[in-house]
Amino acid sequence: MSGFKITGWGAAVPEQVVTSAELATRFGVDEDWVVSRCGIRERRVVEPGQTTASLAVTAGERALAVAGLTGADVAHLIVATATPEQPSPATSAFVHHGLGIAGSAHDVNAECSGFVYSMVSAAALMRIDPRPILVIGSDTHSLTVDPADRDLGILVGDGAAALVLEPTDRDWLQAWNLGADGSCTDSLKVLAGGSRMPTTGATVAAGLHFAKINGNEIYLNAVRFSVRSVRATLEQAKVQPEQVAHIVPHQANIRIVNSMLSHTGLDPQRLVSNLDRYGNTASASIPLALSEALDAGRIRDGELVLLAGFGAGMTWGSVLLEWGGTTR
Amino acid sequence: MQIPTVEELAAQLQAVSGADEVHPDASIQNIADVDSLDLMEWLYNFQNEYPGIPADESLFKDIDETTTMRTVHARLEALASETTAV
Repeated sequence: MSGFKITGWGAAVPEQVVTSAELATRFGVDEDWVVSRCGIRERRVVEPGQTTASLAVTAGERALAVAGLTGADVAHLIVATATPEQPSPATSAFVHHGLGIAGSAHDVNAECSGFVYSMVSAAALMRIDPRPILVIGSDTHSLTVDPADRDLGILVGDGAAALVLEPTDRDWLQAWNLGADGSCTDSLKVLAGGSRMPTTGATVAAGLHFAKINGNEIYLNAVRFSVRSVRATLEQAKVQPEQVAHIVPHQANIRIVNSMLSHTGLDPQRLVSNLDRYGNTASASIPLALSEALDAGRIRDGELVLLAGFGAGMTWGSVLLEWGGTTR
Repeated sequence: MQIPTVEELAAQLQAVSGADEVHPDASIQNIADVDSLDLMEWLYNFQNEYPGIPADESLFKDIDETTTMRTVHARLEALASETTAV
């Protein structure tokens, strides 16, 4: 039975920057209102030709380079996304081809919790097949938002980030928690385009292919479920909040993050956040923040790193890693 | 079931939002520094404090100029008495 270690990481964001000042002008509000509402000053947005898969391929290439591997070394590719390349086939198929992956490939859609779900899935896979796994989170939610929708428009950004997991006897995974509550499907949704409401001219005309958010419900549920998940993970690991050296939450909204920190007793000084520069990049947000922290040399062996996500559905999940691994 | 006084509710919202003052009879929509996310944060705290009272985001669903913390308090009292009756 093998654990995993993280040997590579990489991120890819579009070059096009959309500032909160620009959005404030578009929506007829103050820039301060936008920033105080969500903590986002700018976000990256794809341009024509950039897609969920193209960002994922770039992030994957960078992560593999850091690990000193190629696609031929990868036994399994997992792509977390809620904004697929196209309805079929899976986004991972496009990424698989782009990276020259030798092994299997599949998508995970747990919305903004997708990367944490993918990490836990990869950990399980590693135990039965201890070979390199590439996990990528990639989303282009700017393409799913109604240009007139202020509530979602100020939040979303596009991006991708990847981690390479390799087998080790010194398992880095200390504890995990995943959950879902399917009674909350109305909080954040895209109504049309699936089997329940296939796309027609009428659905497009009605804007039903755009995402819709109930911000209050999302706030309340995101705080409730992420707090519950973090507590469960720390309890499972027998770790106190003050022992966590780095907290990498889903970068959704700084007020949700702050609330989660305050209700779990985690130290705000240990927060890893790039929300102000990228906005909510959904499945990419956790690995994107983690990649930046690693590039900056912030994370050292022996430190505990907590990843915590929540997303539409609702879904939630958290993972506690001990950097460098442990034999316990 | 005992719930906080309206003054206590107002003080809780003031603490959560960082507003200079939250008067029980002030229109919530017109209090500077209080927005819907502050109300949700306040509600989350209330839910944790009083799990027996089925308060949720519908408490603020039809919020308008006339909604004050006294209005909210009355709704919570009604919810508490319904719960007790059951």
